[in-house]
Amino acid sequence: MSTLQFLADGFATAFQWHNLLFAFIGVVIGTAVGVLPGIGPMSGVALLIPVTATITSGMPTSAAAASSIILLAGVYYGAMYGGSTTSILLNTPGESSSVVTTLDGYQMARQGRAGAALAIAAIGSFCAGIVSLIGLVLLAEPLSNVAIKFGPAEYFSLMLLGLAAVSGLAGKSMTKALMMTVFGLMLGTIGIDAVSGIARFTYDQPILFSGLEFLTIAVGLFALGEVFKTVLERDNESGAIAKINRILPTKQDMKDSTVPIVRGSLLGFFIGVLPGAGATLASFFSYMTEKKFSKRPETFGKGNIAGVAGPESANNAASGGAMIPLLTLGIPGSGTTAILMGALIMYNIQPGPLLFDEHPEVAWGLIASMFIGNLMLLILNMPLVRVFAKVIQTPKKYLLPIIVAISFFGVYAVQYTTFDLYLLLGCGVLGYVLTKNDFPVAPLVLALVLGPMIENNMRRALTISNGDFSIFVTKPLSLVFIIAAAAWLLIPLLLKFKGKALIVEEEG
Amino acid sequence: MSKTFDRYASIAFLLIGLLFVIESSKIASSAYGSTVGPKIFPLGLGIILILLSIRLLYETFKYKTEAASTEKLQYKKFLIILVSAALYAFLLEKIGYVISTFLFLLVAFQTMERGRIVPSLIIAAVFSFGVYYFFAEFLGGSLPGFPRF
Repeated sequence: MSTLQFLADGFATAFQWHNLLFAFIGVVIGTAVGVLPGIGPMSGVALLIPVTATITSGMPTSAAAASSIILLAGVYYGAMYGGSTTSILLNTPGESSSVVTTLDGYQMARQGRAGAALAIAAIGSFCAGIVSLIGLVLLAEPLSNVAIKFGPAEYFSLMLLGLAAVSGLAGKSMTKALMMTVFGLMLGTIGIDAVSGIARFTYDQPILFSGLEFLTIAVGLFALGEVFKTVLERDNESGAIAKINRILPTKQDMKDSTVPIVRGSLLGFFIGVLPGAGATLASFFSYMTEKKFSKRPETFGKGNIAGVAGPESANNAASGGAMIPLLTLGIPGSGTTAILMGALIMYNIQPGPLLFDEHPEVAWGLIASMFIGNLMLLILNMPLVRVFAKVIQTPKKYLLPIIVAISFFGVYAVQYTTFDLYLLLGCGVLGYVLTKNDFPVAPLVLALVLGPMIENNMRRALTISNGDFSIFVTKPLSLVFIIAAAAWLLIPLLLKFKGKALIVEEEG
Repeated sequence: MSKTFDRYASIAFLLIGLLFVIESSKIASSAYGSTVGPKIFPLGLGIILILLSIRLLYETFKYKTEAASTEKLQYKKFLIILVSAALYAFLLEKIGYVISTFLFLLVAFQTMERGRIVPSLIIAAVFSFGVYYFFAEFLGGSLPGFPRF
């Protein structure tokens, strides 16, 4: 079957009424998650996994996985839309990926052009979503055809590359990022070894036999860590919200932002495909590019609409681009996609090259639903932006305890053990302490998800080669990946050595 | 960035790495039919973590002394919420989801900001009952709802 045929089947899946509903719920919750400062796309997605798992429990596995991944992905890209709202109206970014939007967006709001800024952000996000989806459709088939030829050695090296990329870009200190990665890999080894069936690091505790649940750790580190941070540090109470007068942008606004939107979409897409680099980096790069290309760079930071259009398109395109390595190679390039992957694995569906052959309705259904979801977001965001702006005013005193309660509910509903609740609290404290001291936690979660896969592929490769480690460098593709991984770690070091400033990718 | 924290953290991770090295060498050496046993991966990780920790420890000696941050942390609120969350976890299976969630939310709301007890009561009640009925009754999930007398 041709790609178009698959895509049509995907639309058939996505247009089933319950999947439409799922996509709708996903994008609405996603927008809310994006608007609320205390909760990012990563914790939002993690919190919803148990809920979707229950809702879809009656369906056949494959359909259930398709429906829940449609909802969860909706949260992910919905958050990219929502993140801009607070940046523009309040000067406080809802997500790290919309930090640069505050620079010009808030200035526009102060000049009474809040509506135009919000509308351009929504339109830009929509265009970017479509661009990244077209890229996804075009690249999915060829990439998975390449990936299907990978052996365990190639997979091991490719995952190493993914980890190296995330560690190289996360946080201020690479030593700390690498420590977190290794620590995550170590946590992944707890439990019964999948190859030999030997229990490792369990100390005869039955609860540890199945290993530490990544969902618990992810929710703890991100959602609870953020809650504890807000409780301890008492964020400055947000100021007045800018008024929204007219929503539709003027013709001049549209004209000024067309090129930045296109540029931002393409740039964001390619940055998103790269492992490690994600929405935050994409929006920063797009802002710098727009400033460089602009005829009047001095107007940036004073309410130039291109400074909203470019970055907002870029962060959305990046979130679409990040789906590509996840779906085709089975390797998440960021914390949020790692969580999406964990969700798929929960349904016993392994993302990767075989996904398109074995479960086309999951892969293509997701792609098609992203078209629909983006359209829904555009329609939702234009007239309802005033409603979402109200969400910002949710008082923290109610919001924070409720996030704790939702985390508890989510973890308990999937795990049914009190042990996981204690682990959740422990991870929350750990998440706060580590993040505060510049130990990035995204590499930890990624390593925890990838850990067992890396180990299995390494051991399979070594079994093939009779324990000879040179298999990783004698296979040409594997060698390329290892060299790329090394470069990813060494180049930032070299740049730092020369005293160049680096941009770090932060996820929330 | 706190120098002292980094120093303690590097020592803590060093110990974790050491623990992994020691403990993984106790794992049975090789599985049947495979030259690479279940211990090689954690053993390698332990060694890498030890090396990275030493590297971080070395880095902490090169930091410039930074100005001490003067922000005041609200330890009291945090501790109350943490302890009540731990109690919540402890009591969840004993007194059921609805009551424990209600109590936790009420305590946490009041800790965040004293006063206005009625809205706190209402929100806590709506959340705990709402989640329970939506999840357990409507969706057919399983939660320990109420204590069994």
